Amino acid sequence: MRSPAATMEHQTVKAGSAVPVASAPTLIRLRGISKSYAGVPALSDVSVTFQAGEVHAILGENGAGKSTLMNIIAGAQQPDAGEIEFAGRRVVSMTPETAAALGIAISYQHPAVLDDLSVMENLRVALPAHLFAGRPAREVAQEILQTMALDVPLQARGDTLTVAQKQLLEIAKALAIRPKVLILDEPTASLDQDSTDILFRRIREVVQSGTSVIYITHRMAELRQIAHRVTVLRDGRVQGSALVAEVTDQDLLGMIVGRTLGSTFPPKASPNVADVVLKVTELSGRRFHNVSFEVARGQILGVAGVAGNGQTELMRALAGLQPAAGTVVLNGRTLAPHDLRHRAAFMPSDRHTEGLAAGLSARENAAVASLQKFAFSGLVSRRREVAAVSAAFGALAVKAASIEAPVLSLSGGNQQKVVMARALLSEPELIVADEPTQGVDVGARAEIYRILREVSAKGTPVIVNSSDATELEGLCDKVIVLSRGHVVETLTGTDVVEARIVAAAVSAETHAAHSIPRAAPHSKWRHIVQTDNAPTLPLALVILALALFGYSKNPNYLSAFNLTNILTLSTALGFFALGQTIPLLLGGIDLSVGPLAGFLVVVASFFINEGQSTGAIVAGFVLMAVGALAAGTINGLLIRFANFTPIAATLAMYIAIQGCSFLLRDGPGGYINSDVVAAINAQIGPVPVAFFMLLAMAILGEVGLRRLRSGWRLRATGSDEDVARRIGVPVDRTIVLGYIGTALLTALGAVMLMAQIGVGDPRQGVNYTLSSITAVVLGGTSLRGGRGTFLGTVLGALLLTEVLNIVAFIGLSQTYQYVFQGALILLATVVYSTVRGRAAMQDE
Amino acid sequence: MNLTADKPIAIPVPLRPGALPLARGFVTIVVSTLALLVVCALVTPSAIAPGALAGSLPFAAVLAIVGLAQMLVVQQGGFDLSVAGGVSLAVVIATHVPAGENAALPGAILMALGCALAAGVLNGILVGVLRLNAIVATIGMNALIYGGVFAVSGGVPRTTTSLLAAIAGGETFGIANAVWFALAILIVVCFVLKKTVIGRRFEAIGANPRAARAVGLRVRLHQTMAYVCAQILYCIAGLLIAGITREPTAFQGDPLLLPSVAVVVLGGTSLLGGRGFPISTAIAAFFLNQLSQFALAIGVPYSAQTIIQAFALGLGIAVYSLRRPRRVTKGAEPIKPFEKQPDTEENKNEAIVP
Repeated sequence: MRSPAATMEHQTVKAGSAVPVASAPTLIRLRGISKSYAGVPALSDVSVTFQAGEVHAILGENGAGKSTLMNIIAGAQQPDAGEIEFAGRRVVSMTPETAAALGIAISYQHPAVLDDLSVMENLRVALPAHLFAGRPAREVAQEILQTMALDVPLQARGDTLTVAQKQLLEIAKALAIRPKVLILDEPTASLDQDSTDILFRRIREVVQSGTSVIYITHRMAELRQIAHRVTVLRDGRVQGSALVAEVTDQDLLGMIVGRTLGSTFPPKASPNVADVVLKVTELSGRRFHNVSFEVARGQILGVAGVAGNGQTELMRALAGLQPAAGTVVLNGRTLAPHDLRHRAAFMPSDRHTEGLAAGLSARENAAVASLQKFAFSGLVSRRREVAAVSAAFGALAVKAASIEAPVLSLSGGNQQKVVMARALLSEPELIVADEPTQGVDVGARAEIYRILREVSAKGTPVIVNSSDATELEGLCDKVIVLSRGHVVETLTGTDVVEARIVAAAVSAETHAAHSIPRAAPHSKWRHIVQTDNAPTLPLALVILALALFGYSKNPNYLSAFNLTNILTLSTALGFFALGQTIPLLLGGIDLSVGPLAGFLVVVASFFINEGQSTGAIVAGFVLMAVGALAAGTINGLLIRFANFTPIAATLAMYIAIQGCSFLLRDGPGGYINSDVVAAINAQIGPVPVAFFMLLAMAILGEVGLRRLRSGWRLRATGSDEDVARRIGVPVDRTIVLGYIGTALLTALGAVMLMAQIGVGDPRQGVNYTLSSITAVVLGGTSLRGGRGTFLGTVLGALLLTEVLNIVAFIGLSQTYQYVFQGALILLATVVYSTVRGRAAMQDE
Repeated sequence: MNLTADKPIAIPVPLRPGALPLARGFVTIVVSTLALLVVCALVTPSAIAPGALAGSLPFAAVLAIVGLAQMLVVQQGGFDLSVAGGVSLAVVIATHVPAGENAALPGAILMALGCALAAGVLNGILVGVLRLNAIVATIGMNALIYGGVFAVSGGVPRTTTSLLAAIAGGETFGIANAVWFALAILIVVCFVLKKTVIGRRFEAIGANPRAARAVGLRVRLHQTMAYVCAQILYCIAGLLIAGITREPTAFQGDPLLLPSVAVVVLGGTSLLGGRGFPISTAIAAFFLNQLSQFALAIGVPYSAQTIIQAFALGLGIAVYSLRRPRRVTKGAEPIKPFEKQPDTEENKNEAIVP
C-alpha cells in the first residue's frame, strides 16, 4: 500500500521520535475541559498534554468533539469548565489574540481565506506586520507560498483558488508565524498526494525545531505516517492516549468505535428480498464519482464516511437538488437525476437553514410541499389541510401545543418530525434523509427510526446519510461507505456493524489526486478584468466619448464655463459617493447621506454668514464635523450593537435628521459668507481646487484600501464577516469606524453643497442619498461587499453629472435625463454582474 | 439494541387544530394605535374629530396600499425603491392623458395599469431572474419610470378629472372611498396570502427561500411576482391620489417612499424577509398618519413631526429586533458540535438585502 520511500520515512520518524518523546517539555496542558452546547455536552472532563517537538494526533469519529477541542485551544471558544496551561503557566482566558501572542497557529478545516482579497492581501491581513518588515513584501509572500509549494500569482483573488489551493494557503499562513503550537484540522481532506507529502515534510521540519503539532484526522494511515502520539476522543471524552509506535490499528479502532446510543432500533427487513425498487448506476457529480447501488423493497440504505467525503453532495443529487450524471431506475422507470426533484422528498441535515421556515407555524411548514393536494382550483381547503396535517402529526407523534404553534417553539426532535411529516404528506417515491437524527433527543430518535422503517416497509425506498456509524448499524440493511467521493465499501446483512463501517471509512487511502483538478494557469488578462479597479478605464473612456459627443453637438459643451460647472457639481456628489462607498464595501448601505448633507448645510447657515467673526465661522465648520461624527457614530452603533439592519438604522437616521433640519429652519435662510463661498469655489484654470482635493482623497482612499491594514480589514469584513473574525479582524470596530468615515466624507461634500446653494435650506440634499448610491454602483463597487474602488466612484460621480448636464445642454427634455440615468445604472449593474459572474463561473 | 428503550414510545395523540395565534407585531401595533387614540382623545380631541379624520384618512389609506405593496417585496427579502416612480406615473397618466375629459379616464386607467405591469415585470426580471441587487435595480427602474412621468407630464401638475375625483375622492356610507379601496385591497392581499396555493407558497418562500427550493418550489417566479404585484398596487395608490388631490404634482410619489418602508417595519415584517403582516401594516399606516395629525394638533411644527416618526420607527425596529433571534450571525456564535457547515456559496447568492 505504502511506497517504499514512505515506509522508510516512517521508520526514520519512529527511530527519531523514540528519544525526544519521553523527555520533551510539556507545552500545553488541558485539565478537565468541559463544554456543552445548549445542554448537549460536546466535551466532558478532557485532560490532555501536548509536548514540544512531537506530532500529537487527535482521532475520533464525527462529532467526537475534536473540532471543539481545537477551537478551545485556539481561543475561538471558551470552555465551560477546566483550565489551560501554556508552558507551565495557567492561561486565565484564552482568546484568539492571546493564542496568537503565545504562538498558537491554527489551520482550519474550512480555510479562512477571503474570496474578495488577493492572495497577497489574505496573507497580510492575517499575519503580523513584523513578518513583512525590512524586506519587499512580495518576496516574503512568495517565500510563504513556497513553503507549501503553492504556485499561484500573488495578485490572484481568493475566489479564483481551488479548494486545495485555499487549504495550502491556509496551512502556509499557519506555518509562516513559526508557531510554537501548530493545530492542523483535517488538513489533507482536499489535498492530493504531492501536496500531502509536502505538508508532511513541513510538519517534520517544524517538529524538529521544537514545535508541538496537534493533528486532527480521521485517517489511520496518515496517523501512522506522521504522528508520534495519539489521543482518541469518543462522545467528548478521552478514550485513551498512546504512542503511535506502541499501538495497533485494532486497539485504536476499538477505542474509536463503541459509541453509546441510548435508543432502540426497529427490526430490520427480511434479508431475502429480490424486488429492487431503486437502482442507481454510475452517479457522478460535484465531490462524488461513479456511485452505484441498489435498494430492495423494504430496505433502508445507509451512506457512511468521514464527514466531507461527498455524502452531503450525493444526498442532494439523489434529491434532484444538485446536478449529477448517471442513471436512476425508480419503481421500474428510468429517470435522469434531475427528475428526482419532484419525486424525492429531501430531509436536509440543517433544519434551520434548509429544512424549516422559521417564521411559520408547524402546520404551514408541514403542508408547504403538498398544498396542491388540499386545494380546489387554487384555493386551499383549510379543513382538508388541517385534517391531513393533524393525521400526519398524530401518526408521527409530534408533540406541540397545537398544530398552529410556531415551528421553532417545538423541540429539536419534534421539529425533525415536522420535516418528516412534510416529506410524507407530499407522498414521495423516494425519501432522502440527510442526518435525520442530528440534534434530536434520544426518545425522538427511536420514533424517527420507527417511522423511517414503516415508510420503507410500505415500499418507498429510504436513503439515510449519517455520521453516526452506530445509528447506521442499527437502522440500515445496507451501507455504502464513501471516501473522497468514491464508494470504498458496500456492506450488507450481518456485515453492517459499526466496526466495519468505521474501519472502511478511516482506513481508506484514496487521495484527491484525480477528483480535484488544478486550476488552469491564471492568465494576466483575467487578473486585470478581476481587479476592483477594472471598471475605471472603460468608465473614463465612456466619459471622454460622451464629452466628445456633447462637443460635436455644441462646441460650447467643452467651454471653460461648462467644464467648471460639471466639475463643481460632481465634486459635491463625488464626496457623498466616496462616503457611500465605505458602507457598500462593508456589505451595508447608508441611506442617511443625503439628509445629513442638507442638515450640515443648515447648521453651517447659522454660523458661516456675512459679517460673522472668524471664530464663529470656524465654529461653524467644527460643528459640521461634530454633527457628522455624531450621526456616523449613532449609525454604526445601531447597526453593530442594537441589531438594526443597515437599511433600518440609516432609514431611521434619515427621517430623524430631516426632522432636525426642519427644526432648525422651516425654510431657506442664513446666507453663507461670500468669501467662504469664493474660497471653496477657487479654481485653477477651469478646474475647481476642490475637485483636485476630491481626486487626492480618492487616491488616498484607494491606496489605503490596497496597502494599509485598515483597508484590508475593511474589505475583509465586507467580504466575509465570520472569516474576518477568525483571522483576527476587529469586525465591530471596523464597521463603526466605517460609518463614521462615511459621515465625515459627507461633511466634506456638505461644504461643497453649501457653496453651491449658498443658503441653509432644509429641503436640499435629500436627493443625494440615491444619487450617491448610483454613482458608487456606476463606479463598479459591488453591493455584496468586499469589492470596490474609490477611484471608480469618483468617475461614477463624474459620469452621472455629465449625463445630466449633457441632456440639458443639447436641449433634450428632462425625460431623457431620467431615462439615461436609469438606463445607465441598470446597464452598468448588468454588465458588472455578468463580467464577475462569468469570471467566477470559470472555476466551477 | 445497546440499551432497552428508556422511554415508552408516545401514543399518538391527535393534535387539536388550535386557534391561530396573534402575531406579536399585531398586538404591538394595535396597542400603540389604541394608546395614541386615547392620548388624542384626552389631549387633542380635535385630532380625532370626524372632520379631521375624514380629511386625513384617505391619505392613510393610500399609505396603507403602498405599504402593503412594499410588504410583499420585503417579504421576499427584497426592497423596492421604485415606489415614488410607480405612484407618480399613475398620477400623471390619470391626470394628463384624459386632460379633464371624463370619457378618456378608463383608457388612461388601463394605460396606467399596463405601465405598472411592464415596470413590475422588468423589476422582477432584474431582481428575481438576473439576481441584481434589489436596491440598485429599483433605483434604476425608478429613474426609468420617472422618464415616463416627464414624457407624460413635462413635470407640470394638472387638474384631475371630475369623474376620478368623484370615484377616488368621494364618500360612500360616510366613509371616504379611498378607505374602501384600501380595505378591499387589504382583504384581497390577506385572502391570497392565507387561502390560495400561490399565496401560501409565496409566504413559505419568503420565510426561507432555501427550504422552499429544497421542497421544489419555484423561488424566482414567486420573487418576480412580488415586484409585479407591488407595481400594480402603487398604480392603484397613484390613481387614488390623482382623485383625492385636486391638482396633483408630478412628484406625488416621492414622499411615500420612506413611510412605505416605515409602515412595513412597524407592522412587524422583518427587512430580512419572512412572513408579512398585511393587517398590521395597514394599521401601522393609520398609526403613522394619526401620529402626524396628533403632532399637528398639539402645534408641533412640520419639522418635529418627522422626528417623532423617526423615533416611532426606531422604537419599532428596536422592539422587533430585540425579540427576534438574530438571523445574521454577529458576535461570536458557538460553532455547532457537528462538523458540517452549510453551503455558504448559496447563502451568498440568496442574500439580497445588504
